[in-house]
Amino acid sequence: MAEIAEQSPSRLAAHRSPLSELLRKDDWWAIWIGLGLVVAAIALFANGGSIKWIAVAPQKWTHWTDAAAQLQTHGAQYSALFVLWAGSLGLGAAALGIKLSRFLPAFLTLYVVAGALYFLGQWDQAAHYNLEPPLVALGLGLLVSNTVGAPRWLEPGLRVEFYIKTGIVLLGAGLPLTLIAWAGPVAVVQAAIVSLATFGVIYFTAVRLGLDRRLAATLGTGGAVCGVSGAIAIGGAVGAKKDQVSVAISLVVVWAIVMIFALPLAARSLHLSTGVAGAWIGTSEFADAAGLAAAQTYGGYAGSVPGIEGHADAAVSAFTLMKVIGRDVWIGVWAFVLSLIATTRWERTGVQSRPDAGEIWRRFPKFVLGFLVASALITLVSKGYDYAAYKKDVLPGLVAPLQALRTWAFTFAFLSIGLTTKVREFAAVGARPFYAFTAGVAVNVALGFVLSTQVFNEFWTRLGQ
Amino acid sequence: MMPPLSGSCADCRHFNSRPLDIEAALPGLSTLSSAYAAVRSNDGLCAVHDRYVAASSVCAQHRTLSPSAVQSASTCTRQS
Repeated sequence: MAEIAEQSPSRLAAHRSPLSELLRKDDWWAIWIGLGLVVAAIALFANGGSIKWIAVAPQKWTHWTDAAAQLQTHGAQYSALFVLWAGSLGLGAAALGIKLSRFLPAFLTLYVVAGALYFLGQWDQAAHYNLEPPLVALGLGLLVSNTVGAPRWLEPGLRVEFYIKTGIVLLGAGLPLTLIAWAGPVAVVQAAIVSLATFGVIYFTAVRLGLDRRLAATLGTGGAVCGVSGAIAIGGAVGAKKDQVSVAISLVVVWAIVMIFALPLAARSLHLSTGVAGAWIGTSEFADAAGLAAAQTYGGYAGSVPGIEGHADAAVSAFTLMKVIGRDVWIGVWAFVLSLIATTRWERTGVQSRPDAGEIWRRFPKFVLGFLVASALITLVSKGYDYAAYKKDVLPGLVAPLQALRTWAFTFAFLSIGLTTKVREFAAVGARPFYAFTAGVAVNVALGFVLSTQVFNEFWTRLGQ
Repeated sequence: MMPPLSGSCADCRHFNSRPLDIEAALPGLSTLSSAYAAVRSNDGLCAVHDRYVAASSVCAQHRTLSPSAVQSASTCTRQS
């Protein structure tokens, strides 16, 4: 039996059809769930209805009795929303191999705590006390996981990536395709400049410090492209040692969490507009979930912190354009090129990679397709409405409820980040990888700041308006 | 000169691409990413070389799985 357990995964992987990927990757489940919700919302809207009853969200409150009254009035809606999330996310989790009987109790707990944080964020004094839901969720999770420890039964429900990808697909419903087409090229140019510079600094610093080239490349893409996802994609493509991948993951996670707090704080002290701050965070954060926590936090300052201009959603929109369109989608190209270089130029390891251009598609973050399709669908539906009719009908009846669902999905993710970050379990990284990665962080943050606030400042400011 | 190699890691008994095992072996992976992510493709852990490798890689220590193990494996799935 032990032998079977050891042998089964590889064999099953070898005989897996491309179609089975549609059920075995969280990217695809984020698409099925996110687009399913968007299509359902459109279908109801087209027939004079709306999903807003079930897409319930806390409203602004002043005294806790107001919040309690909201909860009492809308109790049935919150219960129905739990059933919707538990059913759809549970189906996806089960398909990924997580037992439903273990996922559901964990998710119920996550839902209740996320709901409490969502309510807390709607308190009219929340911004005054820096109680932005993403930061509170992260801080609470970090505190629990690194003191008493999150209970093991909660682990099956802590699927950061699954929730954040589902939220990003839903985010597409709030971004017109025309805006993506307008801002996308600038995001790609800015992201390319920073990605190439950051990768170069980390890689060449690491090599100069005597580190193995495979570790240097894994660190480099972790810092320059898409964080932990970048590290595992390149680690596998170049055949890095397991410990090298662990080192890269530890460094990315630690720096990403530092940046969740540092970037909004720095942007706030400089009174950057929401669009500019979102672009900076998108250029200089390392992972989607971490960056969205920072961007959503900053969006929450709009209208509540004096001197910060722009629409609240602009920070998240600019971040997504920069990080997802500008950086994430290129990971397959990085993997193919570095695999080719590793095979032909670097010292042999005993395991021989076989570079294949098909990797560009296989490693493509598929959830981006869901994001684009969601955007295209809402853009098509909105086409027949003038601005006044859009504000009166489409926004409250179709777009706003999907935005509320997105906020729920993001809150599940932010809470899960903290609860899964166990600092004591991280690999010991050593001084040299730390120096190399930190050099890249410094360049990444500085260059991202200059490009967002100077070179493309007007562009990102306009996006925020 | 290396001898020609046959059989990829995907067919090797030393290779493990099970997502939950990968997440357990790489602490922090599930914090800001996932072993179920498309970017991982079918990469996995090689127990012989202690490396994280692409399923299409090859090596001289390759050991093909027996058909009986495959048959049993098809009815033996591990869940979280």
